[in-house]
Order: sequence, then C-alpha cells, then structure tokens
Amino acid sequence: MAGYLFRRFVTSLIVIVGISMVAFAMLHLISSSPGRAVLGLHASPKAVAAFNKANGYDDPIVIQYWHYLLQLLQGNLGYSYKLNQPVTSVLGENVLRSLYLSGVSLVLAILIAIPLGIYQAVKRNRLGDYIVTSGAFTLYSMPSFFLGLLLIQSFALSLKIFPPEASQSVSVIGVIEDPRAMFLPILNLVAIQVAGYSQYMRSSALDGLGQDYIRLARAKGLSQRAVLTGHLLRNSILPMITLIGLSVPALLAGNLLIETLFNYPGLGLMFYNALQNEDYPILLSYTLIAGVLTVAGNFIADVAITIADPRVRLS
Amino acid sequence: MMDERNTEGVEEAPLNLGGALGAFEPGAPLIDGGDVDLAVTSGWRLAIRSFAENKLALVGLGILVFFILFCYVGPHVYYSNQLSGNVLNSDLPPGPGHPLGTDNNGYDELGRLMVGGQAALEIGFFAALIATVIGSLYGAISGLVGGILDGVMMRVVDVILSIPYLLIVLIVATRYSGTVLSLSLILGLFAWLVPARLIRGEVLSLRVRDFVSAAKVMGSGRSRLIFRHLLPNALSVVIVNITFQVADAIIAIALLGFLGFGLQYPHVDWGDMLSTANTALGNGYWWLVYPVGISLILVVMACNFIGNALRDSVDVRLRRR
Amino acid sequence: MTRVLEIENLSTHIQLSRSVVQAVGNVSLYIEAGETLGLVGESGCGKSITGLSIMNLLPPGGKVVGGSIRLEGKELVNLADAEMRKIRGNDIAMIFQDSSSSLNPTKTIGDQVAEPTLLHRGGSKREAVDRAIEVLDLVGVPRAKERLADYPHQLSGGLRQRVMIAIALTCDPKVLIADEPTTALDVTIQAQILKLLDDLKERFGMSILLITHDMGVVAGRADRVNVMYAGRMVEATGTKEIFSHMRHPYTQALLASIPRMDQDNTKTLFSIPGIPPDLTNPPEGCRFAPRCAYTQPDCQKSEPSLRGDDRHVAACFHPVEDGPLKPEMMVTVSHGQVERKDGKNEPPLLEVVDLVKTFPVTSGAILRRKVGKVHAVSGVSLTIRKGEIFGLVGESGCGKSTLGRVIVGLERPDSGKILLNGEDIFAYKGRTLAKKRRDLQMMFQDPYGSLDPRMRVAAILREPLSIQGVESSKEQEARSIELMREVGLPSRALERFPHEFSGGQRQRIGLARALTLNPKLIVADEPVSALDVSIRSQVLNLMKRLQVSHEMAYLVISHDLAVVKYLADRIGVMYLGKLVELAPGDEIYSRPVHPYTQGLINTIPLPDPEIEKDKKREVISGELPSPISPPSGCRFRTRCPRAQEICAQQEPQLRAFGASHMAACHFPLVEPLESATTASGHSQI
Repeated sequence: MAGYLFRRFVTSLIVIVGISMVAFAMLHLISSSPGRAVLGLHASPKAVAAFNKANGYDDPIVIQYWHYLLQLLQGNLGYSYKLNQPVTSVLGENVLRSLYLSGVSLVLAILIAIPLGIYQAVKRNRLGDYIVTSGAFTLYSMPSFFLGLLLIQSFALSLKIFPPEASQSVSVIGVIEDPRAMFLPILNLVAIQVAGYSQYMRSSALDGLGQDYIRLARAKGLSQRAVLTGHLLRNSILPMITLIGLSVPALLAGNLLIETLFNYPGLGLMFYNALQNEDYPILLSYTLIAGVLTVAGNFIADVAITIADPRVRLS
Repeated sequence: MMDERNTEGVEEAPLNLGGALGAFEPGAPLIDGGDVDLAVTSGWRLAIRSFAENKLALVGLGILVFFILFCYVGPHVYYSNQLSGNVLNSDLPPGPGHPLGTDNNGYDELGRLMVGGQAALEIGFFAALIATVIGSLYGAISGLVGGILDGVMMRVVDVILSIPYLLIVLIVATRYSGTVLSLSLILGLFAWLVPARLIRGEVLSLRVRDFVSAAKVMGSGRSRLIFRHLLPNALSVVIVNITFQVADAIIAIALLGFLGFGLQYPHVDWGDMLSTANTALGNGYWWLVYPVGISLILVVMACNFIGNALRDSVDVRLRRR
Repeated sequence: MTRVLEIENLSTHIQLSRSVVQAVGNVSLYIEAGETLGLVGESGCGKSITGLSIMNLLPPGGKVVGGSIRLEGKELVNLADAEMRKIRGNDIAMIFQDSSSSLNPTKTIGDQVAEPTLLHRGGSKREAVDRAIEVLDLVGVPRAKERLADYPHQLSGGLRQRVMIAIALTCDPKVLIADEPTTALDVTIQAQILKLLDDLKERFGMSILLITHDMGVVAGRADRVNVMYAGRMVEATGTKEIFSHMRHPYTQALLASIPRMDQDNTKTLFSIPGIPPDLTNPPEGCRFAPRCAYTQPDCQKSEPSLRGDDRHVAACFHPVEDGPLKPEMMVTVSHGQVERKDGKNEPPLLEVVDLVKTFPVTSGAILRRKVGKVHAVSGVSLTIRKGEIFGLVGESGCGKSTLGRVIVGLERPDSGKILLNGEDIFAYKGRTLAKKRRDLQMMFQDPYGSLDPRMRVAAILREPLSIQGVESSKEQEARSIELMREVGLPSRALERFPHEFSGGQRQRIGLARALTLNPKLIVADEPVSALDVSIRSQVLNLMKRLQVSHEMAYLVISHDLAVVKYLADRIGVMYLGKLVELAPGDEIYSRPVHPYTQGLINTIPLPDPEIEKDKKREVISGELPSPISPPSGCRFRTRCPRAQEICAQQEPQLRAFGASHMAACHFPLVEPLESATTASGHSQI
C-alpha cells in the first residue's frame, strides 16, 4: 500500500512538472516579448530589447524555463508588471477568501448530495426521483452564472432578502461574519455541485442496490435503513471520493464565474481582472496553481480511497 | 451416410420440431437450432426504435429542430436590422415592432436571439466535432499501439487534463477570440482529452473480446482488426460523445461570452448577450436576460436528452438476449 | 412428518419496461422437517425466483401475484415487512451462488457473520462475535478467530462460500434455501461444499431447499426432487423415482441429455430440439409440447395440471411409463470412427513440445516492474492425430485455456514448439503465420462475446474466407449457406445480427465460423459450459457430427470431465500448468493412475442416486495453490493424500502405464509398465 501511494506521489510530481512546462510554453507563446507589453506600444524597439535582455527574456527557451522552474521552487511565481507587484502578494488574502467560499459550498454540497442520491436510488423511477432528476438535469444544462442571475433577481432584487453582492470585507473573518451577503453565492455553488454529485451518487447507489451483498444483507433480515447505512453507504461513496477528487477544475471554474457575478474579491475575480488587463504572469501562475491543485485533488482522493477501501488497502 | 444427411433439402423444413420421436430417428431434421425472431432486424433499426420510444429524446430532438429553424429560417421570416444598432431605440421593453424589446445598443432582441443562436449552435457543433475527431484518433492510436507510446500519450493527457479547461481557454481567448472559427478551434482544441480517454478505454476493452481473438485466429491482419472490428464497435461511443460535447461547448461559449471573451462586436452569440445581464437585471431590463437564457438552457438540455437516449439505445443494440 | 414450508399455487411476475415475465406460475411444493428438497430446472425456469419469492427478496419489478407461502402454517405472502424481517435470516436463511459478490467487500468477515445474531438474538457484541467464531468453526473455516478481521477479498472462493453458509447458520434456521450454492466453484471445491451441507443437515436436522440446474448435485443428497420447466412445476417425487421412474417427458429428456461418465460415445446424446418458450408470452397448452417427443394434439390445446398420488405427481397428459430413455434408442453416428490416415512415417497433425508459457505479474504505475510470473503452462507435451478428439480437463487456473490459446497462436510461448504437420508454426511471422493458421481454428466459450455484434451472420461467416483471400463473393455466399445448413440454422438467418440469436444458436454460428476454412483442428475452449443442459447436448451432437463429416480433429478444453469424456478419444488431465495424466477416455475413467485424476472423477456429482449414495465421500482437500509460486516437486502434493517427502523434492516424470496411458506420479494408483519407466515425454505419447 505504501509503495502504491509512493508511486502515485511520484507520478503526480511528474504531471506537475508537465503542467509547469505547458504553463511556461503558453506564457512564452502568448507573450514572448514582455518588454512590449510593459513599456507600451510607443516604446522604441531598442528599449523593448533592452528590457527583455535585462530580464532574461531573450535567452533560449530552455534556459528561460530552467530559470522559471528555479524561481518556482523558491516560491516565486513571477512578477505582475501591470500591478507592479509580485504575483504571490497579489494572491494574498484572495486565497483564503476563495478557500472559504469553495470549501463551505463543497462540504455542504457533499452533505446534501449523498443522502439525496441514495434517496433517489431507493425511490427509483418514482415521483420523488423524477422531481430531483429533472431539477438536477435543468441545473446541469445551465451555465452556472445563469442560476446566479435567477437568484439575484428573486432573492436580491425582488424579495430583497439578501444583497446582490457578496461580502466586500478584506479579511476572511469579516467575510465569515457576514453570512447574509455570502448566502447567495454559496447557495449558487452548492446547487450546481449538488446537481452533479447527486446524479452520480444516484447511479452509484443504484449500482450498489443491485449487488448480491445487498440481497444477502436483506436475506439476513436487516431493515431497509440498516441495509442502506450498514451496507450500501460505504460502498457507494467510494466512487464519489474519486469524483470529488476530480472536481477541482469544476470548482475553480465555478469560483471564477460566481466571484465575478457577485463581485467577490477572491482568486476568481483576480483571474477575471487579470484577463481584462491581459496580465499574463498572474493568469499563468494561477493556471499553474490550479493544475497543482487538480493533481493534489486526485492524489488526495487516491489516498482517501486507499484508506476507505480494504480491497485497495490490503492488496 | 453423413453426406446424404447433410445435403437433404431440409432448409425449408418447419422449425422447432421435435414431435413424434423425431429426435431419435436417423434422418431427423437437421435444422434443430431453433428459429430466430423475424420481427427484429438490424441493430441500427433496433437502436432507432429504442430511441424513438424514448419520449425525452423526441422532445430533445424537437427542441433542437425548432431552434435550428428559428435561428436559420427565422431571420428570413422575421426581418430586423442586425447590421447597425440604433442608440435612440436602446433598452426598449417588448412592444410593437420589437416583440422582445431592444438591447442597450438598440438592436432588436428577437432578431439578435436568432443571430446569436446561429453562432452558438455553430461554435458548439464545430468545437464538438474538432474535439471528438482529435480525441477519437488520439485515443484510438494510444489504445491500439499500446506499450510505451500509450504510456507517454496518456501522461500528456493527464498533464493537459490537470489544467482547468475554462482557465486555459480563457487565457488563449484573450489573444485569439473574435470569430466563430477561432472560438470553435480554441474550445475544440482543449476539449479532446475526455473523448481521447473514453475511446482508448473502449478500444482496450474491445481488444480482449473474443470476437477480436476469433479474427486473429482466422489470420486477420492488424488493419483489418482495426477497421473491421475495433473502430466500428467503438464508433457508437464516439457518436454518443459528440452530442454531449455539443452541449458542453455551448455552455463553454456562454461562459466565455458572459466573461466578455465571445465574438467580436457587432457579431454576437448567446453568451455575449448575457455579458451585461447583471446590470440589465439591476435596471429591470428582464427581456435582455430571460429569453436568451431560456433558449440556451433548452438547447443544452435537448443535446443532453439526445445524448442520454443515444447512449441507452446503443446499449440496447448491444444488449444480451 | 410435518411440513415446515408449504407453497401453494405461487405465481410471481416480473415487470420489465415493456413486458411482463410470467416467471413462476401456479407452483406448489412443500418441504418436510429435516428433509432436502431438490428444485431443479434449466436457467429461466423460475426456480430461483421461487426461492426469492419465499424470502420476499424479488428483483425490482418482481411481485408475487397469487398463491400462498406458509412457514409452519404462517402465511408469508403479503406479510408486513417488519414481520418478514424477523423470519429472514432467522427462520429461513438463504445462500447464493456467487460468494465473491455476495459478501460486502468493505466489512470484515467477523462483522458480517455476527450481524444476524445481533439482529435476531440480541445480546452483546461480544456474544455475537463468539457465536460467529463458533459457526465459522462449524463450517470448516480454519483458525476462525484470526479470520474475523479479514475482508472477503482476502479469502479464497471456497472459504467465502463457507463464510456465506456460516452467516446462514448463525440463527439455526428451520429452512435453508441454497440457490445454486456450488455453481460458481471448481469441482473439487464444489465437492467440499456439498459435503459440508450434507454434514450440517445431518447434525442440525434443518430442511434444505436446494435449487440447482445440476441433476448430479440433487442425486446424491435430495430426499425428493421437484422439476420446473418454463415457470411451471412439471414433476415432483422422490429422488429415486425421478431418476428411475420419471413420468414427465421433460424430466426424461433432461436426464437423457446429460452426458454421463459411462456414456457410449459412439452414439448421439439425446437432445431436446428448440429452445424454451418466451415467458413474456407463453404458449397455450403444455409449455413443453413444442419440444416434446410424445406430443399429441391435445397437448397444444389445454395445459395439464399436476396429477398423481401423494408420492408422485406430474403435469402431463401422456406421461412416460417405461423409465429412462434406453441407450438403444439413440442414433449411432459412428463417432470416433474416422479413419486414421496418418501412416507410420507421417508426422502427427499437431505436436506440442515442452511448451512453457508464463505471464508477468507487474506492479507500478509508470515503471512497470516485474514482480513475479504466473506459471500458466509449465512444460506440456502432447500430440493430436488427424481426426482425433483430444480432451483437456482441469480446474480453472490449471492452464488449459492458455495452452489452447498458444496452440491457435493467440499467445506466443516462452519456450517449446508447436508443430503442425511437422512444421513449427512459430517459426513464421505475419502473413505466413496467418496462412499457416488456417488449419487451426477456435471455438470460444462465451457465446455473447465471440461474435462481432456489428456484423451480420453472413459477414461473420465470410470473413475467414476474405482474410485468407479465397473464393469469389459468389462462392463465399454459397459456402455460408452451406455452413448454416451444416450447423442446423435456417439460411435466412444469415441476414441477422448476433444479438438476435440464443446462446446455443450463437455457439452454432461460432462453430460454423471455425469450420469455414475447413480446418484440420478446432480448439474448442469450454464450448458448452455457458449452455443449458438441453441446448448443450444439441451442440455436443453437432460437434461430433461435424467432426465425422469433416474428418477433422478437436482439442476440447473443459472443466467438465463428463463432457470431455463424451467427446474425446483421448484425455489429458492438467493440474497447475502440468499435464499429470494422459490416456484414452475409457481408461482414464476405469483405471485412473494419478490421485488427482481419481479425485476429479470421484468429485463429479453423477445424475444417478445409486452411485452417488454409495460413493465414498473422498474429496480432494484444500484449494489450488497460487500459480505464481507453485509447490516444488509434484505440484499436486499439497492436496494429495498419498504425498510423501520425495514428492516435494523431485518432480515426477510422465511414465507409461499402458499402451497409450501416461501419468506423472511418484505413488501412482496402478503399477507402471516397467519397460517404459524411463520414457521421456512426447516421443512415446
């Protein structure tokens, strides 16, 4: 088992190196001459060349990548000429604010989706199942921001229960202390994730319900409740762990849209602003971080599966 | 004696015999394998029948056909000026002359919906096509060749798949956005990874099936195995995948448009039309948000319905008796 | 005797999306205290659904639509769920076919065995665990206490089945329903489990409802037998009567269809023509009438009900009077009479010389390291002559299928040779190898996986011809029509797709495809093990008939000694990658030399209560060792009753025990021929 996890760890590192290559290659392709971008269209070619030379942007690409990699290893993600500060300091508290928004909504979504999926599987093809499935299907077919628009329209503009904008507090504590402002963005993210997870949980639970060991559990005389909690739950959550581990990209995409829509100062909004400014060092640093998070998500899911599934743990 | 029995004209003999101690006697009818059902014929026909019996699939197909007609035939029936806006007429609520009102540049919203739909459908279709073609070829090659090449190809997929799709597409779109073609390419070129994995998995599982072994035993060459057995059997997975890819691409283009990286003004797609939605709602201009949003959802839903039904009907076709 | 369980006129339907399967109709049965009732029938006859109806554990869509099920007088149909739960696992327990999927993979053995006690007996966790250890001991799980913390995947198939029986026994049920309890197991393990069930019944006096398709399994242990066909009970009587004085033509036909060890294999097997009716739309009249040899006009008009006395009932208007079908009534097809054309100087058709095949066991995600190898085939030599049927038997994992796949060229051997007409086929590559292969064709086990689902039958049959570049399309068409006729299918079926055929029909198509190139040898890997008994005999007959008419040879690979015995002229027995015995079929049955061969013969349940009752219950103990690290010396020594020290140190060589009888054993059951003690491998075989 330890050997397996170690090998998985090494593969993850290799993939991360690959991601850094892709991120670097894209940076190079899209803005190969940062001098032009920094000094503006009116700068003389000479000045641009001098800037590029001074900052090592005219070195062969392999050398540049090597320097980039060395910088990365020291925790230096690059420099935003547009904002005139290092990328790491731009990230700053954005990280925590985004973590709060994503974390809370992910946990809530899992807590809702698992029982909901099992409920649907048990009530398969009956009214309750149809209603939830239709709802999930509609949400699934909707761009995530559109649900946000509907929420803003109904809860903020018409009913005026919640503000149309998320908390603008600079500190995370301030954000946490303002649940009313965070209600709509979190609701939006939760609803969208529940739509995906519950359908997956439904099919996983349906698959489980058809298994022979469920029939044997019933043959022992266990009640429906005991069968579901004692035998079905753990087995049908196992595939969910992998799915959740794979959902980092979706989580980040959701963040980007919802933070933009609700004007919430997190990583997503930072990314959006960097898009508008064509601030490539920030864009690519964030992409790199996102890639690392994705790989980490997969790895953590593998570790979790290894712990939760005796078939993997004991082989 | 065997030869005589073999050549007896028994072909037209009634099936499922077995009466009158027939099985004991020499010269018993040789067609003793039982009859085959005459009602069903080809696998595709069975698939179509199962598809047609799926009400949601028909609804989906209906919605899709409606929107195709709406977007492409609509402008010929309902004429509106989409070439230049009229700022004097901006943000008009629905009323005479403008059934769905006008937008903030004074374009007629109904006409805009048709033109924007054309772009959304085209980008969705082309992006899905690009992604599926690249993905299928890549996955098929990886699965068929196997070995080290397969390992390397799949690590490349791992790497690119680890970079969130929306982020990378947006970054590229900051530089190359603007046209239906460029957006289709951007979306398609980063969306082939999932189909690649899917097709590879399918090819790998087909490779060890007995009918492939059977062909090998007959002496079948590699190309025959690939083109006669593996690819035709993987094709259904590819077809099902296209429909889901269309749905995903239409959502993706909506996200791009919403964030302001859609088509170059004055060209427009449904996503672009929603980029000012938040402000529009704040101002109470609901007609700029709901018609386009609902159209978008309906089309994506229709694609998903069709995809689900296709997947089910393909399963029916291959189902065991 | 008191009737513990009584079922009257039970009807169970299963609702599918478009139709209703009338799975069980008007079935009545009873079980007396301490009795074993065998419920037999082919797949889809409703026997399992009957069992599940008793427990009210029907699959989705399933519903009891009529009749009554009474446990000691208490009605179970429509019993409230809470009441039913008190009965399940307590008064009635059930064991299922597949222990690998029937145990929860994420719960420990201890938890799973203790669960029923906690549920029905209350008490502390401690007491439940003690009870679990007790029952695990009882069912022969060694070191039960240490097993409690294990998970199902850590146990072998046989042990898992024992654990499932332990779960059923924990609450001392009055009735045990065993649904195909040994079907998924190898014969030696099957014998162990059946013996366990017999012992337990004797010790605890519970009633057993034994649901099985295998007449041999009921013959040895059931007190009475009920036979089902197409959702109906067709006959019910004592075990002895069912085998010797059956009344229903189906029972008679079913028994006659089973190849027996002492079968005269120059005659055809009896076979029931056609296939069972579709239960979504069952025919009027007797359901067996369309396939019945004795059918009369009145059989089609109305359905016969069960008639007879207390001891024997059958549902037939024209019951058979004279017991089992007499072998004289079978057609002689001069099986095995193919003239051996190979002269002394001509090489045999196929020669396998010292063949070795291993599969690497790898681990690691990126750098695949070889951590060991599976020794699938370890130095096997054999020859197959022209027109001969060679049978290869052994339990799963013995390497017989791998050997078959190497012979047809699907796998390359690590070492050793395959000589076809004296030519080493692996000396060739690519196109030439493909051409050479046309004399070697293969028939597969799985009738569903072996035909390309996207090809019409016509294309499937033409493919071999196109590949080998022979014959014009017109000739190909004529050839496929001819082939269809030969395998007994209507030629209009050429335009159909594989999914439109039943399993037996697909096997026929598979055989037709193998025949297309007029091969000299067909390797048939478990050709009939996926088929029901009545269909199986059709295919066996067909295989024999075609072998004679095409003058070809077969290599028949099967776990079923009776099937191999019926088909083959000579039989090779494999154990863990080694050929342990090789002899003509009759001789291997009458004079086995290797203890493993004898063990195999003893463990096969025969459809004959007389033999089964007298049979010494000598089962081969233990389970197959891992082929990754096979035992030293003789590979069978770990399970052999005669094993001594030398067996671990020295590998026994094949020695001659008769004109064409070889075996590899240090302590054979029969004295070897002295002159041939040093015989080496293939040259003598």
